[in-house]
Amino acid sequence: MTITLVDVVNLLINGSIDGLLIALPTLALTLVMGIARFPNAATGDYMTVSAYAGIGVQALGGASILLAGLGAIAAGAAISVVFYLWVFRALRGRAPVASLVASIGVAFFGRSMLTLFAGHDQHTFSIPLVRAWNFGGIRVLPTDLYVAGVALLVMLLLFALLHLTPIGRQMRAIADNPDLARACGIRSGRVLLALWATVGALCALGGMMFGIKAVVSPELGWELLIPAFAAMIVGGIGSPIGAVAGAVLLGIASELSVPLVGPSYKIAVAFVLLLLVLLLRPRGLFGKAIAAR
Amino acid sequence: MTAYLVAVGIVALIYMLLTIGLNLQYGYTGLINFGVVAFFAIGAYTSALLTLHGWWLVPAFVVATILGALVAYPIGLLSLRLSDEYLAVVTLGFSEVVRIVIQQEEWLTKGVQGLPGIRRMFAFMGVGGYADVAILGVLVACNMAAIGLMLHLVRSPYGRLIQAIRDDEIAVEAMGKDPRRLKVQVFMLGAGIAGLAGAFYAHFITYLSPDQFLPLVTFYVWIAMIIGGTGRTTGAVAGSLLLLVFLEGSRFARDFVPGVSEVQMASVRLALVGLALILFTLYRPQGMMGSRK
Repeated sequence: MTITLVDVVNLLINGSIDGLLIALPTLALTLVMGIARFPNAATGDYMTVSAYAGIGVQALGGASILLAGLGAIAAGAAISVVFYLWVFRALRGRAPVASLVASIGVAFFGRSMLTLFAGHDQHTFSIPLVRAWNFGGIRVLPTDLYVAGVALLVMLLLFALLHLTPIGRQMRAIADNPDLARACGIRSGRVLLALWATVGALCALGGMMFGIKAVVSPELGWELLIPAFAAMIVGGIGSPIGAVAGAVLLGIASELSVPLVGPSYKIAVAFVLLLLVLLLRPRGLFGKAIAAR
Repeated sequence: MTAYLVAVGIVALIYMLLTIGLNLQYGYTGLINFGVVAFFAIGAYTSALLTLHGWWLVPAFVVATILGALVAYPIGLLSLRLSDEYLAVVTLGFSEVVRIVIQQEEWLTKGVQGLPGIRRMFAFMGVGGYADVAILGVLVACNMAAIGLMLHLVRSPYGRLIQAIRDDEIAVEAMGKDPRRLKVQVFMLGAGIAGLAGAFYAHFITYLSPDQFLPLVTFYVWIAMIIGGTGRTTGAVAGSLLLLVFLEGSRFARDFVPGVSEVQMASVRLALVGLALILFTLYRPQGMMGSRK
């Protein structure tokens, strides 16, 4: 099989779309890492649970994808806030590893409840079927453009939240220097509630978009966790811009690798990219210079 | 009944080896290894493939152990320069990559079909009966050797040093020691023990397939360590025995509760593992038997 320029363009387009979608959970990871200071391994399973909530809403209330999305966001924010209030709030004073181990527990618990009550079947969102546009061999699926557009819009909203609203400024203050933030009278309890609700909504939108693009299965989120971790480290931990850049870079890299190593090795490509960044530029593309301990 | 208990005992002792390895890494040195199953898998497949190509068991076991340790070297070197959470993310990713490689490289591992017909230990004594008792005996000896090694290490100046890394790495560095080198060494030692456990597993079960090496296995080992109490030598013994009681018990529970399918039971098991990780981290970080410091 020879690879033509058209093929490469197709791969680049697909990779960018994948990357924009991975950017959503990556942003959720990097926000938690920056503000609550631990890698949240439950991120992927928040996505899965929300996507199932979306499927559930669609099964109940007709075919409106918008309603399904709202249901998913509500579910994602709710589960994220509930586990914060129950687990992560109590672990705040402890070493990050405590929250990390607990987040694995949260991930397993969430997924097990899902498979126990919703089964292991795959589901799809019912959306109108449309044919791919074809520009001289360059194929674009309107659905892909739609999910990528939503992802971009969500990112814009998130950056607006972080930079234009008081609560966003407070989040950034805590990320920057928790002690100074407290000394300035920022009440971290409220900020963290807002953080976890935002994180849940991000995961929900990520889960929905992946569900629309492909299928919803119990492993949906867990399989995206490693790419999202990799994207976060590639982009630089704690940097939202870096998360988006890292995710798009990762999406393109894994898509370009498909003709060479086959589609099954996407996670492996993400992993190799992660190792390369650790080797060459441990703080990532946009990370602050963090001294190794 | 005796035969059943012996078989369960063998599996418990294999988990005990894994727990001892992890306890050395996390309990004593603070290294977060979320990829225990990767080194376990590498040991299992290495020894299985070597013996299928006509090797004797003993050299195959030795190579499995050494390979487990050697693979840990670059991973430890890359991620241990940075803060602890990097190792967690990298090892988790590594364990998924190892499983995908086992799935995909069918020329070597027969992929998802699995690798049947692996030589059993003490096959000349038949299957079951005395052969199993002999396997049990060898495993008891190996576990005692591992515990002995650990006790010796922990009490030696080396052991005080690695525990000091866990408690205050900067102080260790200030005393002119190189914590990174020590961490890589401990990481390799634990990974080697996991490789040895894998070899035992391969030559007891005699059939390997990639779905025996899910990330869940890693967290079984974590549960065993946490229940027993991290950084306690006896903890690994008690923890892995309790883990097996739980795993086997959940199998029997199905006989008493009618109408529960095996798939549902798997969900319940995952839920309990998740809950245990959450509850122990929240309420008994010192383990089941440890006293609160």
